[in-house]
Amino acid sequence: MLALATRNEDELLKETRAITENATIPSGISSIAIPPYSDPKEFLAQYNKPDSAVSIKFNRGTTTLAFKYQGGVIVAVDSRATGGAYIASQTVKKVIEINPYLLGTMAGGAADCQFWERVLSKHCRIYELRNKERISVAGASKILANMVYSYKNMGLSMGTMIAGWDKRGPGLYYVGDDGTRVTNNIFSVGSGSTYAYGVLDSEYKWDLNDTEAYELGRRAIYHATHRDAMSGGMVRIYHMKSTGWVKISEEDVTDLYYRYKAQEAVAAQ
Amino acid sequence: MSIMSYNGGTVVAMAGKECVAIASDKRFGIQYSTVSMDYPKVFEMGPHLFLGLAGLATDVQTVSQRLKFRLNLYELQENRHIKPKTFSSMVSNLLYERRFGPYFIEPIIAGLDPKTHEPFISVMDLIGQPCISTDFAVIGTANEQLYGMCETLWQPNLEPNDLFETISQALMNAFDRDAYSGWGAVVYIIEKDKVTVKELKTRMD
Amino acid sequence: MFDIKTDTRKMPIEHHFNPYEMNGGTIVGVAGEDFAVIASDTRLSEGYSILSRENPHLYHVQPHTVMGSVGFHGDSLTFNKTLQIRLRMYEYENNKKCSTPAVAQLISTMLYSRRFFPYYVNTIVAGINNEGQGCIYSYDPVGSYEREVYRAGGSSSALIQPLLDSQLGLKNQGSFELSRSYTVKMSRENVVALVKDVFTAAAERDIYTGDAVFINIITKDGVFTEHFKLRRD
Repeated sequence: MLALATRNEDELLKETRAITENATIPSGISSIAIPPYSDPKEFLAQYNKPDSAVSIKFNRGTTTLAFKYQGGVIVAVDSRATGGAYIASQTVKKVIEINPYLLGTMAGGAADCQFWERVLSKHCRIYELRNKERISVAGASKILANMVYSYKNMGLSMGTMIAGWDKRGPGLYYVGDDGTRVTNNIFSVGSGSTYAYGVLDSEYKWDLNDTEAYELGRRAIYHATHRDAMSGGMVRIYHMKSTGWVKISEEDVTDLYYRYKAQEAVAAQ
Repeated sequence: MSIMSYNGGTVVAMAGKECVAIASDKRFGIQYSTVSMDYPKVFEMGPHLFLGLAGLATDVQTVSQRLKFRLNLYELQENRHIKPKTFSSMVSNLLYERRFGPYFIEPIIAGLDPKTHEPFISVMDLIGQPCISTDFAVIGTANEQLYGMCETLWQPNLEPNDLFETISQALMNAFDRDAYSGWGAVVYIIEKDKVTVKELKTRMD
Repeated sequence: MFDIKTDTRKMPIEHHFNPYEMNGGTIVGVAGEDFAVIASDTRLSEGYSILSRENPHLYHVQPHTVMGSVGFHGDSLTFNKTLQIRLRMYEYENNKKCSTPAVAQLISTMLYSRRFFPYYVNTIVAGINNEGQGCIYSYDPVGSYEREVYRAGGSSSALIQPLLDSQLGLKNQGSFELSRSYTVKMSRENVVALVKDVFTAAAERDIYTGDAVFINIITKDGVFTEHFKLRRD
């Protein structure tokens, strides 16, 4: 087995290709039917117009964020799902618990994220059983990227962040529906991401302590839910530590709004 | 994307026992993005007369101001307060003048007759087809949700306090399921001798 | 420049087949502490015509699990048929009935298997889980799903859901504190009465909902049914 710290992307590619070549059609799960149309993206777009009598609307709309700091990775998300202007749910779980050391986030099509991250969790488990060690964050995110890449231009919609902890320490990757895979210290994804970036960029430091980091994630999501119509519900915060992830909090944004307003009133005096 | 839901917003009116109520949300947005949270869509047109407008914000302002102008002319000419029913015709007329290039708004007129104090509610489509209703009227991006709420919560002959509770619950729970409206609400309870204005504490997402 | 006389003749003629229809219908599911209620109207429509007044949109898939499915009736029927086969396979392979949470996961992957040519259906699953608790799961057409306390789906979902928020979720009644419970505290009788009320309201305003409500009450002793008349116009 290669040491995680020394191997390069080529070796990683070999490792993950073996997994994903058999994985594009998820085994054990009913396979994804080939559409009887040349362009499934265009086919589905017909039924996504608001005036169409038949209207197939998938649940979507989101603010999610994750950032690395001195103490690990913070993952914070909202919990709203919208189908058009209708708020389908305020209680969606947008942090997907892949395993005790890996978290995935959900932005874009809810079903796409839920399904592929479930398939990913299966692959991570198989990797563990075969190799007697946990998969790296780089490896896990690459499996996901390879899987969605094989469906490129078919209309998948997902913007997901994979956060975890491996031999290299904290890991954070963004994986997009077109097969994009990048790593960085800060990411925010979804319709409310611009608002979240605004807060995140102005307050972010590597040396944040845990409480400050939680509060930064919380405020960033809260401000996004306040201004973005497609985000809302509650703020969920997870902390990825060397010992695995911990769920930190789950608060209704309305509570946060009136709490912050009261704090501002006190500060103004 | 429909032009009627470009800015978002929703209005509801309900009739009670010798009183009427009209309420709106306070959001002004541009599609997904919320620009202002202090943008009520109910306009006072007289001591017992209120107008609610939902739809494209620019037309909401234009129509409310042109109607106020026509109303002022009417009251100067006639030297008396307008009846809600007459005002409803005035709105209908103004909208039909733009039959082939309409204002993208739907109005609700709610008020009490200046003499008999009988409740009056009417609602129109964007080219001024009026529909006088004896129970409630709903317009805006949360109209479906409001129909469901009003159809079960409303009952005849509600007293002013009960009417306030009913309309507030109907409006808040309706727009909490609509991405394009909410962010505060304002309720007017119109009685024979007084008008009560109340701001509601709502979800802000 | 495009010349309509000569150029259109050279163009291939497109024949378009529309594989979907909207057949209306509404479903409501509520999870109680030791029971689950799922109800649907019995109207089946196509455009402005009524195809049937006696067609409930509920499918009894396991002893303690009922699936509600509305949207395109053809897809509902096909999906139900396929589900029944998969559940029978499960039973033979595992020598036990499929539990409600397992049925829920199966439905999700089955819906996703048609990701690029979806079943045009809104699905709600109601049942009792292994702990004897009532549970409700709701889906979008491609299988994203969530366990919920109550849920309205179908043509009247926008009319009914805010009402359930108010009456069962107790939203906008002072506290915005999150409820962490997966069930409502209401009694079975009151839930059934509320379901009848919300359908009566929906039938007033939605032309795709009406005729009657078919109610399934699922307890550990099995599924009990109730019928309630709605307006038929």
